[in-house]
Amino acid sequence: MSKETIKAKAKLVIVDDVDTDQIFHQSLLTIHDPNEIKPHIFGNLEGYKSFGKEDNVGKILLVGKNFGKGSTRQQAVTGFIAHGITAIVGESFGPIYYSNSVNSGLLLVEVPGISEFKVKEDDDLEIDITQSLIINQNNGETIKCVKIPQPVLDIIKAGGLLKLGEIM
Amino acid sequence: MTSFTLIEKIIRNRTDVSDDEIYPNNIVWVNLDLVTARDYAGPQVIDLFQKNYTGSKTFNNEKIIFTPDCYPYGNDPKHAKDQEKIRVFAKEHGIKVTDLGSGIGSHLLFRRGFSKPGDIAIGADSHYNILGALGILGQGAGDVMLAFALKTGKSWIKIPETVKVILKGDYEWPTTAKDLALYVLKELHEYGITGKAVEFYGEIIDKLSIEERVTLCSLITEASGVIGFVPDDKITADYYSEIGIEIEMLSADEDARYVSELVLDIQDLGQYIACPPHPHNVKKIEEVIGTPINSIIIGSCTNGSSADIHDVAKILKGHKINPDVRFGIVPATREDFVSINLNGDMTIILESGGNFFGAGCSTCANGQYGLTGGETAVTLTTGNRNTQGKIGPADVYLASPVVAAATAIEGKIAAPKEVVKR
Repeated sequence: MSKETIKAKAKLVIVDDVDTDQIFHQSLLTIHDPNEIKPHIFGNLEGYKSFGKEDNVGKILLVGKNFGKGSTRQQAVTGFIAHGITAIVGESFGPIYYSNSVNSGLLLVEVPGISEFKVKEDDDLEIDITQSLIINQNNGETIKCVKIPQPVLDIIKAGGLLKLGEIM
Repeated sequence: MTSFTLIEKIIRNRTDVSDDEIYPNNIVWVNLDLVTARDYAGPQVIDLFQKNYTGSKTFNNEKIIFTPDCYPYGNDPKHAKDQEKIRVFAKEHGIKVTDLGSGIGSHLLFRRGFSKPGDIAIGADSHYNILGALGILGQGAGDVMLAFALKTGKSWIKIPETVKVILKGDYEWPTTAKDLALYVLKELHEYGITGKAVEFYGEIIDKLSIEERVTLCSLITEASGVIGFVPDDKITADYYSEIGIEIEMLSADEDARYVSELVLDIQDLGQYIACPPHPHNVKKIEEVIGTPINSIIIGSCTNGSSADIHDVAKILKGHKINPDVRFGIVPATREDFVSINLNGDMTIILESGGNFFGAGCSTCANGQYGLTGGETAVTLTTGNRNTQGKIGPADVYLASPVVAAATAIEGKIAAPKEVVKR
């Protein structure tokens, strides 16, 4: 990804404290192939169990507070990349989940008070990654994000930490 | 902001960004002084490096060390092959290896002067933050970050908020630094230091040796903290001076911004023990006195130094270890092994019925010395984790070397004073 903006439709999973076990259950730990991980995403999250079989390619996922808390689980990141999710926007993220995602090239954006913004399913969002802003093109609302740090921008633009290492 | 906490200062000195980028929760690139890997995760790091950076050199072979310390003398083919992979890669790239029997990597970093105060060092070890005891920013890192760091000499770090912890008062033997560490863990876990750094202050700090400071800082991980620092002082400077290194002492600015300040009263602190199933399940020893124990391990980066083993020898001298107890000692480093050999502690412990194993990580590395067997084998270790199933299926307690030694004589959890009195 080399663009300064990401334009995509919103997919809402506004639930607080989603554990990595609810994203990808530990009973499936032996699965590593992204395509096999894909159908199991949110397989353990009440209300969103069908996510794995839906088509959400290219969408921006909106989540709640402390998303991805719990054990380190690479599959809980790989699965969203396999789904073609372009970024995850949430109130806050578990620290291990944050580094696993960013290092894999999946952009996470923190927005304080995300649930107060009037984003609806399939709204057209535009993330300006250098200005750390999200514009909801359906209602014109501008959402201020926590400043996306320079290392995260560098990594995301390169397509992941290991890719960045090739050019550093 | 023009004034900084200790961790902010260390990061500031190792980054190319301007001062206004140095604030809590911001993420910055840092230039690493040392990148290490060991037999756990090291082989995966090498695989990632070779796959992604085929034919490349490392950023600086003199700033990398491999420290196999988890599976000394590979007792199974998988680990023996993993260790070989490390040696082959190291030779090809001219990287130093502290090979089997040298001891725990994090300890060798300060024992042998590979790392000094103000440095940033990363390795595949969640207890690398024990280096905070010497004013070094040590951090555990995952395979991907380490492979990237081998290539670039950089990593990114989220600057944590810092809690200032003041330890008020003093304690006397048989209370030791481990009891202090367990008590502090209990309090900090309750207080909540997730994702935060800690700086320790108080008169007691002036009395703690480097080994005791390491013990104190070693349980910060168990409270989900980033690191605990003991700011550099004369004790730190003297320690490095003895190995021929002059250090530049770093301290936090007087008006540094702390997220909070916590005063802990440690006057006449008693003895503490971590009970199953979590390290933070810390109780006064009186609550569990008499619990039968049949496997005891002295070791780990928390309490495996020659000073810790000396504490054990003092209590065991002239006593026999209870026949129901298996008693294993895993010195942290080769240097500790030499010390206890020279001062006679090794003979005292052997005559009491104790057993020595090659220097390394002991029970904390799953699969190393200390596996206790079935559900009836209740363990007490001087280590830092009592996670169920790690050493064996039965209960595990964490305590000081003096409590471990007293317990070894009795065959059940005992306070050292009672044993010594006899």
